[in-house]
Amino acid sequence: MPLARILALTLALAVAPPARADFPETLRDHILPGVAAFRDATAALAEAATTGCDPQALRPPYQAAFDAWMAISHLRIGPAEEDGRALAIAFWPDPKGLGWKQQQALLTGDPAALEPQAFARQSVAARGLFGLERLLYPTEPLPADPCPLIRATTSDLARMAAEIDAGWTGGYAKAMLTAGAPGNTLFLGGPEVRQALFTLLYAGLEFDGDQRLGRPMGEPSRATPAKAEAIASGRSLRNVLISLQSLRGMLVSLTPDAPRTVAAFDHAIALAEGLDDPVFAGVATPEGRLKVEILQQAISHLREVALEEAAPELDVGIGFNAADGD
Amino acid sequence: MASRRAFLAGLAAALAPRLTWAEAGSPAFLAAARAGDAYLLHGLAETGASLFALPLPARGHAAAAHPTLALAVAFARRPGTFALVIDCIRGTTAARLTPPKGRQFNGHGTFTADGGLLITTEQAAETSEGVLGLWETETWARVGEWPTGGIGPHDLRRLPDGRLVVANGGIRTDPSDRRKLNLDTMRPNLTLLSAKGEILDQVALPEALHQNSIRHLTLHGEAIAFAMQWEGDPAEAVPQLGLWRPGHAPVACPPDDTQAFAMKGYAGSIAAAPGLVALTSAPGGALMLFDAAGRPQATHRRADLSGVALGPRGLVATDGQGGIWAVAADGLQLLAHHPLAWDNHLVSLA
Repeated sequence: MPLARILALTLALAVAPPARADFPETLRDHILPGVAAFRDATAALAEAATTGCDPQALRPPYQAAFDAWMAISHLRIGPAEEDGRALAIAFWPDPKGLGWKQQQALLTGDPAALEPQAFARQSVAARGLFGLERLLYPTEPLPADPCPLIRATTSDLARMAAEIDAGWTGGYAKAMLTAGAPGNTLFLGGPEVRQALFTLLYAGLEFDGDQRLGRPMGEPSRATPAKAEAIASGRSLRNVLISLQSLRGMLVSLTPDAPRTVAAFDHAIALAEGLDDPVFAGVATPEGRLKVEILQQAISHLREVALEEAAPELDVGIGFNAADGD
Repeated sequence: MASRRAFLAGLAAALAPRLTWAEAGSPAFLAAARAGDAYLLHGLAETGASLFALPLPARGHAAAAHPTLALAVAFARRPGTFALVIDCIRGTTAARLTPPKGRQFNGHGTFTADGGLLITTEQAAETSEGVLGLWETETWARVGEWPTGGIGPHDLRRLPDGRLVVANGGIRTDPSDRRKLNLDTMRPNLTLLSAKGEILDQVALPEALHQNSIRHLTLHGEAIAFAMQWEGDPAEAVPQLGLWRPGHAPVACPPDDTQAFAMKGYAGSIAAAPGLVALTSAPGGALMLFDAAGRPQATHRRADLSGVALGPRGLVATDGQGGIWAVAADGLQLLAHHPLAWDNHLVSLA
């Protein structure tokens, strides 16, 4: 039985609490289930690749794995940051096209580089979900049979997902739950855990607005639709939507008292659901760009409300030095 | 006419012995902090204990410590229109320095080895052209200025032989709202000046890194280690650390591929111990260690980590949640935890 279910049952049996939300609930309801689901989805993808490399057959489990990543991609802390895992799982943006250059070398080079240990040391840009996107949704003919590289990439991805899950269940969750205990230098108290989680939520929204939407929007006089994320797999808008839904879930698990922030989330999510522009190609026209801009503004507004309402509710802020450095 | 009280205070100050850091408890560091709504300048022991806390009228930035006397110059955040000379024993303001009309303090300064002169980085408010302001330290009168050979000078260091090295950040800012005006054409540089202010040498990074603003410095053996903040595309992986041996080209020292964005393109502070250089990034929540040749050694994570300096027992770092940490190759060790937020810089009194 997954750890998350065990925790949920244990808590339910141990106490009959009124509805509460704080970081233990965020761990139980948001983080642990999310990293477990990503572990399972990438395992399924790697398994599918061992039985056959037909891109058509691999696309559905690939999409499922990417969906699972989008539910946790904002958790840039602890296990995801170790060994640059988050970067190796999803290297985007890649403005200089480093990933594709590296992959071409891997496709045509020494097969020993695809052995698991050697592959794990390849450039982060060449691996992970965006590496797989270039192999499963190629925009031009590939220079060699991609099957060995597909297998190496899916297997490397599943390994990292399992390591992230193991990192959380094997100690990082406990470090959060025992914040302030003697010897715990990761979190010197509950407030630091809330601060860290809020910072992740806020940074996640910033990335959605500034990068996922901002890059294709470009300038008013010059939109750059080619810079959207995950165009080949058709996921640009879908990634924003899942991110917003997941961040909303994180918020409600962390505090029960931020109704305006929840409403701002709902508004942004509704806009994303209603936007008929899956890879933001519409930004090439003024009307199309305006629609995306409206979503971006809703996310900016959501960030402001989160700072005004949720942050004080959690008794946190943006880091003193991070907010205004030198 | 000066009031009687002011006259007596001035007389007392003139006659009072000038006390040394020993009388202030021999702090190892100075650090500005915010506690609730109050801003303070703390003197810290090497253990992380606070020896004194003096109120500041506004958020402090870096401080300059007199080499022997218990005097600290606290700079207002840039663009700064004042600096306070603080008597750290009496807890009083010995002097308030204001830059000349049309000049702004840029948050950093250094004393000469004998403490006779304070040298401050400043820029022209309208053009951001850099100057070093010179202040003699008996009466705190401004006695001159030297061009820094660049725009937006930030940190500076005095070499053991009296020469000065200045980080010209290269960014032209709007005089009123700090908006950055010239990111497309910016050209940061490192400038070496003689003890008399003559420009001896100047270097810049290759064109591809022209948007990497050089902002903070530390001396590291024969070299000057410098820390940068990237003003270009945030998706581009760029180094935060560089090393410059005057007479040679500067060398950029990138992090490990797996830590390419750990610092989020931003180094806030830099310090060096024998064989080790440490950079901090508050936005990244990370401290990165490099060896003497600039090769990456380790990355340690801690939210809002910013100040870092060399103390008697090694490198120490401070964070915005009140933590003070000993920095070792294998991790951070908590020395002390205070109920306040340590600000950007930790100043060593070594």
